[in-house]
Order: sequence, then structure tokens, then C-alpha cells
Amino acid sequence: MRRWSVAAAFLAAIGSARAEPCNVAAFEPCKACHALGLDGGQKPGPQLVGVIGRPVAGDPAFDYSPVLRAARDKGEGWTRERLDRFLSDPEALYAGTWMGSPPIRDAQQRADLLCVLMGSQDKH
Amino acid sequence: MRRRHLLALSAGALAAPAVITQPARAAVETRDLHGYRIRAFAGPSGTGLHDVACNADGTMWITGQRNGTLILLDPRDGGLKSVGLGSGASPHGVVIGPDGAAWVTEGGQNAIARVDDKDHRVQIWKLSGGPSYANLNTPAFDKQGVLWFTGQSGVIGRFEPRTEKMQVWEAPRGAGPYGIAATPQNTVWYVSLAGNYLAEIDRATGTPRIVEPPTPQQGARRVWSDSQGRLWISEWNSGNVSMHDPKDGSWKKWKLPGERPRAYAVYVDEHDTVWLTDFSANAIVRFDPKTETFLSFPSDKSGGNVRQLAGRPGEVWGAESGTTRIVAIDKLHG
Repeated sequence: MRRWSVAAAFLAAIGSARAEPCNVAAFEPCKACHALGLDGGQKPGPQLVGVIGRPVAGDPAFDYSPVLRAARDKGEGWTRERLDRFLSDPEALYAGTWMGSPPIRDAQQRADLLCVLMGSQDKH
Repeated sequence: MRRRHLLALSAGALAAPAVITQPARAAVETRDLHGYRIRAFAGPSGTGLHDVACNADGTMWITGQRNGTLILLDPRDGGLKSVGLGSGASPHGVVIGPDGAAWVTEGGQNAIARVDDKDHRVQIWKLSGGPSYANLNTPAFDKQGVLWFTGQSGVIGRFEPRTEKMQVWEAPRGAGPYGIAATPQNTVWYVSLAGNYLAEIDRATGTPRIVEPPTPQQGARRVWSDSQGRLWISEWNSGNVSMHDPKDGSWKKWKLPGERPRAYAVYVDEHDTVWLTDFSANAIVRFDPKTETFLSFPSDKSGGNVRQLAGRPGEVWGAESGTTRIVAIDKLHG
């Protein structure tokens, strides 16, 4: 009986961890340039709904910097890992990117942001 | 109508000892184009050069957004010094104050920073209240010595160095406040990149008065005043340079050359000639309002991405964020 209780508690903990909502505030600084919805209107940067899994420079409505277009032409896509590297220092990964945001050095901050971006996949 | 909130009223500087790296020398390359000399100084690697400001003694300050520094360049001998702004620093804008110091919108610490022009001591005034990350963007001084600033998270603010009084307000339409400029007539204006507007700030109350540019969704990124107090605006989304004359409320606009221009920076020189940067063309572009013609100065390296311009008589300065070079365009004759 006790063993079942422990197992149930463990599963409940996993479930609650999975269901834990993202820290949506992590996306606040991005809102000045990016939309997280297809109805976001014209923004200074590309829309980011469904960004993880799509090609680099993958918003057809946005003209990208040559360095990102070259990455797309080489077949590079936005995996979670690549986006994490990009956010940690955009110029280090793609020197010449038009995006002007500073490096996000804090891994937790990046994880929070990636959580929000992953959540946007559902709206894709 | 949305109520405007006073978000912060704070005082108190945190002083940090200046961390200055060993002086270095920047390699310089020169070339001539269209009757101008272009100088390109190699900046320190990994710095993420962003905005520039011209000191009265001929030296330049440049923000290093990637490594949290303010970089001093002496163009006469290529001398370089880096001043650390503190842990987590990520400076965006820089302007020279009436006291001769460099004043920085230091986004990483959510603060206004001052770097003394003589001993390079760093002082920090953190924003309190308002967003924990205002995404501080650009500063400008008015004639009373008050520093006005923007934050892309949706704030505008002012800081009085004399009393250390800081005030921060919510901006209309939320996220977006970007470039800011004071005019010779002592009015203060800013633009909102995401909000797509120009606004004059009432210097007494901090209340902005929006002036709608003629192109919808234009993405007004930076603004500079000419000698007459006319506001020149670089429009990122539309690729236009536009001009608003507050005297009669009129607007004019011109499309930059090329198929899909992306106007980022704007600066107006002592002859009221307008200088812009175009990311699509990878160029600094000169616009003559008298003849309404453009003259392009493409970078000799790919992905230059000059994000801001400033100058002194006969010289236009910017930093290529993508190549880590500091560039000057000097008039050769006349």
C-alpha cells in the first residue's frame, strides 16, 4: 500500500512538473520586435510562432540578414539547442545578424524563453 | 484612455571602480569614395559595438553591448581603452553630457551609467519601480542638463544629474520606445519602433504627445533634429527617411535606394545633411534634402550593420556591429 502511495506521489510530481506553465514574462523583452502569433501584424522582426523546428530565416514574410539566409541555404534549422546557443550570444553564432538584442547569459532566463517559444508550437 | 503611471522615482548612485583593460592600438584602414575619406578602426573583438559618441577632445566613446564595456578610441593614434561597466552590463546608447562625461543607457543593470571623462570612474543609478528590465535604449540631454531616455519594454524617463532624481513613465502603446533626440529649440522627441510613432515629450510633466507619421506601420527606429528643429526619422519597416516639421505640422518622406531598404540609424550634420544606415544595402547613406538625392557608402566588408550614427563637424561616425569596426566618413574638400 505504502509503495503505491509513493509511486502515485512520484507520478503526480512528474505530471505537475510537466503541466507547470512557462514564465511568460520571459518573452516580454522580445515583444518590441517579435510577435508570437500569426495575427501579430507587422513587427520589426520575424514572427516566432512555431520557430523551433522550422528552418533558420523561416518566416516568409520577413527579409533576413545575409548571414541567416546563408544558414537557411545550408539547411540549418532552429532546434532547441541551436536557439539556446543563439540566445546566449547571437553575434557569436551568426556574426552580422540584424537582431540587436544582447546576449542572454542566464541559462534559466533562456530556458524560460525557450519554454514560451516551445509553447507557441501548439498555436502553429 | 489608458492612465499613465509614474513608474519610478529614485535616487542614489552606486559607484564602481573603473575596470580598465590595458590600452591597445586599433589597426586602421582608409579608402576614398565620392570625395570622402572612410576610416575603419578595428575594435576589440567580442565587444558587440553598438552606439558611438564624440568627445570634444577628438576621442570617441563606443558601447560594447556584448561584453559590458564602454570603449574609448583615440582616432589620432588608434589608442583603445575599455572601461568595464559592472557585472551583467549590456550598454546600448551613449551620449556626452554637459559635464563632459559619457552617459550610458545600461540595459544589463537596468540603470543609467556615467563614466567620468578624466578618471573613467563609473557611477550607476538603477531604475526602481517599473519593469525589472526596461530594455534601456537611447539617452539625450536637453539644454537644462536633464537626461531623457527610452526603454524598449515601453518606458520613457528622465534623470537629473544635479539632484539624482529619476522618473520613469509608461509609454503609450507599450513596447517600442527607441531613438530619442533634443532639438536646438530645446524640445525632446522620441520614436517608438513597435508603436510606429513620433512623440514630443512635455519636459515639465513627462507626458508624450504622439505625432503620427504618414506611413502606417513604418517602424520609426531613430530620430535626429536638424538646426531648424525638424525631426528626421529612420523607418525600419518602410525603408523610408521621413521628416516632420513641428512649425507647421508637415511631413515629407523619401524611400532609400534599393529593392528592400531597411533604414536603421539617422544623424543630421552641421550642414543639415542627413546621414542614414541601410542594413539591406550594408551601407551608410547620405541624403541631401536640397537636391533630394542619396549617395551610398557601402561597407567593404559584409554584414557591417551600423546601428547608430553621430558626428562632429566634417566627420560622421558609427560602429559596425557585425564586423567590430568603428568607422568615420570625413569630408575631403569644402
